[in-house]
Amino acid sequence: MIHDAQMDYYGTRLATCSSDRSVKIFDVRNGGQILIADLRGHEGPVWQVAWAHPMYGNILASCSYDRKVIVWKEENGTWEKTYEYTGHDSSVNSVCWAPHDYGLILACGSSDGAISLLSYTGDGQWEVKKISNAHTIGCNAVSWAPAVVPGSLIEQPSGQKPNYIKRFASGGCDNLVKIWKEEDGQWKEEQKLEAHSDWVRDVAWAPSIGLPTSTIASCSQDGRVFIWTCDDASGNSWSPKLLHKFNDVVWHVSWSITANILAVSGGDNKVTATSDHYTRFAMFLEPDEN
Amino acid sequence: MKLKEIDRTAMQAWSPAQQHPIYLATGTSAQQLDATFSTSASLEIFELDLSDPSLDMKSCATFSSSHRYHKLIWGPHSMNSGERVSGVLIAGGENGNVILYDPAKVIAGDAEVVIAQKDKHTGPVRALDVNMFQTNLVASGANESEIYIWDLNNFATPMTPGVKTQPLEDISCIAWNRQVQHILASASPSGRTTVWDLRKNEPIIKVSDHNNRMHCSGLAWHPDVATQMVLASEDDRLPVIQMWDLRFASSPLRVLENHTRGILAIAWSMADSELLLSCGKDAKILCSNPNTGEVLYELPTNTQWCFDIQWCPRNPAVLSAASFDGRISIYSIMGGSTDGLRQKQVDQLSSSFGNLDPFGTGQSLPPLQLPQQTAPQSIVLPLKKPPKWIRRPVGASFSFGGKLVTFENAKSQQQPGIEQQQQQRHHVYVSQVVTEEEFLARSNQLQEAVQSEGFVSYCQRKIDMAQADFEKNVWAFLKVNFEEDSRVKYLELLGYRKDDVRKKVNMPGSCACVKCFTDGYVDGLITQTLLTGNFESAVDLCLHDNRMADAIILAIAGGQELLSRTQEKYFAKMQSKITRLITAVVTKNWKEIVQSCDLQNWREALAAVLTYARPDEFAALCDLLGNRLESEGDSLLQTQACLCYICAGNVEKLVACWTKARDGNSPFHRSCWLS
Repeated sequence: MIHDAQMDYYGTRLATCSSDRSVKIFDVRNGGQILIADLRGHEGPVWQVAWAHPMYGNILASCSYDRKVIVWKEENGTWEKTYEYTGHDSSVNSVCWAPHDYGLILACGSSDGAISLLSYTGDGQWEVKKISNAHTIGCNAVSWAPAVVPGSLIEQPSGQKPNYIKRFASGGCDNLVKIWKEEDGQWKEEQKLEAHSDWVRDVAWAPSIGLPTSTIASCSQDGRVFIWTCDDASGNSWSPKLLHKFNDVVWHVSWSITANILAVSGGDNKVTATSDHYTRFAMFLEPDEN
Repeated sequence: MKLKEIDRTAMQAWSPAQQHPIYLATGTSAQQLDATFSTSASLEIFELDLSDPSLDMKSCATFSSSHRYHKLIWGPHSMNSGERVSGVLIAGGENGNVILYDPAKVIAGDAEVVIAQKDKHTGPVRALDVNMFQTNLVASGANESEIYIWDLNNFATPMTPGVKTQPLEDISCIAWNRQVQHILASASPSGRTTVWDLRKNEPIIKVSDHNNRMHCSGLAWHPDVATQMVLASEDDRLPVIQMWDLRFASSPLRVLENHTRGILAIAWSMADSELLLSCGKDAKILCSNPNTGEVLYELPTNTQWCFDIQWCPRNPAVLSAASFDGRISIYSIMGGSTDGLRQKQVDQLSSSFGNLDPFGTGQSLPPLQLPQQTAPQSIVLPLKKPPKWIRRPVGASFSFGGKLVTFENAKSQQQPGIEQQQQQRHHVYVSQVVTEEEFLARSNQLQEAVQSEGFVSYCQRKIDMAQADFEKNVWAFLKVNFEEDSRVKYLELLGYRKDDVRKKVNMPGSCACVKCFTDGYVDGLITQTLLTGNFESAVDLCLHDNRMADAIILAIAGGQELLSRTQEKYFAKMQSKITRLITAVVTKNWKEIVQSCDLQNWREALAAVLTYARPDEFAALCDLLGNRLESEGDSLLQTQACLCYICAGNVEKLVACWTKARDGNSPFHRSCWLS
């Protein structure tokens, strides 16, 4: 059973992971599909894969039920394991790379309720920071906020390294979506968003298009998809809006690059794409018909 | 991983899946006595609050009842209709009574919480189950093979599923089928299990394992397969879980021998049919897969035997186990660390005993140490295979270029009974997201146009299709860009056509006498002509409108020819005293002046001629003036004619004139002349 499929930054490669414990990488240029690599290393079903920004090279992270997070890197055409993290007590459900401006940082959410942040400090060394008990009986999803300060379309022209406030959102089995902020090197819970009545299965922070609002989409076991918007830059007042209540579990939400379309996948193999956040459904794909 | 703990000796029931937040109801158990030997009974409701990291569960309500219970279940009856917000609690009492409670009222603290009760059974009601499909039906089993089916809407008269089985024996377990709503199974301690069909109102099959004797303590139907069920045996000689398929009912399909001593209770997870919990007298709680027989998980417990175990319907990873040491523990099978919990227990014990020696010897007790031999792992490993509710079957993610990657896992046909060979097709689809078909069509057209360079026709099409005026204009302009003579065409588009304007201008010429044009109109017309570069018309208009200054200035800008014409027209129009002079100066038409000036002003005329006339015409002009003076003027003027002749250099005429003028004194003047 395939659990995740992600395209890299340029859309030339596709990484898939499955319950057969493997991570496969395909070259999908021009509509073809050539298997480039079959990565083995996990001892349980692999739940999610995430591509890092190409400026760091070809790096892929995968997390699995066997409590491990493995970072793979392509060197001279071959893919190899470059780092393995086993600091979690239970299944790691989600991995997400931070925006490249922050460096090479990976957030991992696990069923033991903790979220760990692995930062690459250089020369093959990784530093680990752990947020224990982020979500009481398990964290299901993590998603980073985009690196721009909301409201600025362009980067700081001053040339110096801007002071980014690192933030990410996480969703867990305690029905909450939490927003975490880094302050003085420590991660603190900034906000607790309550609206779901069952496990939050996925959260996705919309990419920034320069508008001063921040938007998060969250989907849950109870079939509801909420869109949370925050209008002020300090990130204090989030207001939810129910996008739709589906009849079945919603597993995954994903934003398009321009943040105007949200793909919602749930229930029994149904994928819905919703545009403009709030109103109508643009398409309702039934993959069986493809 | 242990999540919570309640210190009660009680039967437990989780709130139904629709109920949020999650509650656990506990009713004092009739079978066990706690340390105080108390016989008071109470019904309590606790709330499961997972965001609270402590081990205690919040007690929402307590209701002291007069009965103790053998069995407690929580059904979702009337939850949808809103009548009973939290469903109905059904309790089987020790005196053969079945009592219905309203949990919402219990939580609210009302005094009247009993909905109904009925003392129909003869012995303690040990078995209860709510029908999944028709939630108003509850089955109860007690002594002497009594089984009653109660309708919660009509609680007074229960039905029986058929004739009582002989020999009469206690019913220890009862369960409705999970797939078919009219099938009910009941089991008795002797190991005999009867399956009833309520439509026919009779038993359809009796299952018993004749080879072995088992003391049936648990009965559960397979959540997915209608004909399979498991029976658990409490007998220490045969501590097994038997998996039966009713289509082959003479011997069990599979026997799970994982416990070392008798099994006290089982629970099959509704969320994942591969998880079956069983707790036994060997103090173990095991989670095994009944389809394959392997043990998936052993819950780390160091407590005594558990007599009741339940899955939480709403949160599939949570289960509760009630044990003989007076505690109900809530566990999660997703794994986690038990470090924090152990410490709490140690602390609790330490604080109870304090450090003082209770025997009064004056010596303090050494700090409490954990027994080393049990040393459980601090990390609790989760299930070997992830449970169904964590496996993501479908997903989609966007990628660069509008691509959408979706994946789905096609369901396979399950082969019931035999090992399931799941042939699943795994597909990943890469599709192009087209949100607006129209947009795509338009961009295709544009692509074509660019390639074929058929810009003009493309623009034309766009003009035709455009609905808003603005759009039309935009496209028209773009089109012109590709045509020749673009500037003129732009002008045309703007609404200024040269020919039109000319026509307009000529029109007023024909009816100039009719002063029907307002200033504004003429202004507009002048503007139009100027914008199209038509100076002539502009000048004409100005002249017509008596805007002389404007006309002349425009004429200057319009070129020399235009200027002279304008001058002519101007002069034709204007009539002032010195117009003639001005005209003459400008047009250099001195002849005219000379010919037509008032002879009284002959001096001025002569002066003008002297100033302006060109050398070749000077003489002629003076001559002319002289002639006029002679012929037309009076005698005084005639004499002045001589002066003109002098200027002209015309001697003969001068002589003639002078002679005429000086008739009387002719000899004197003739001599002057001769000299």
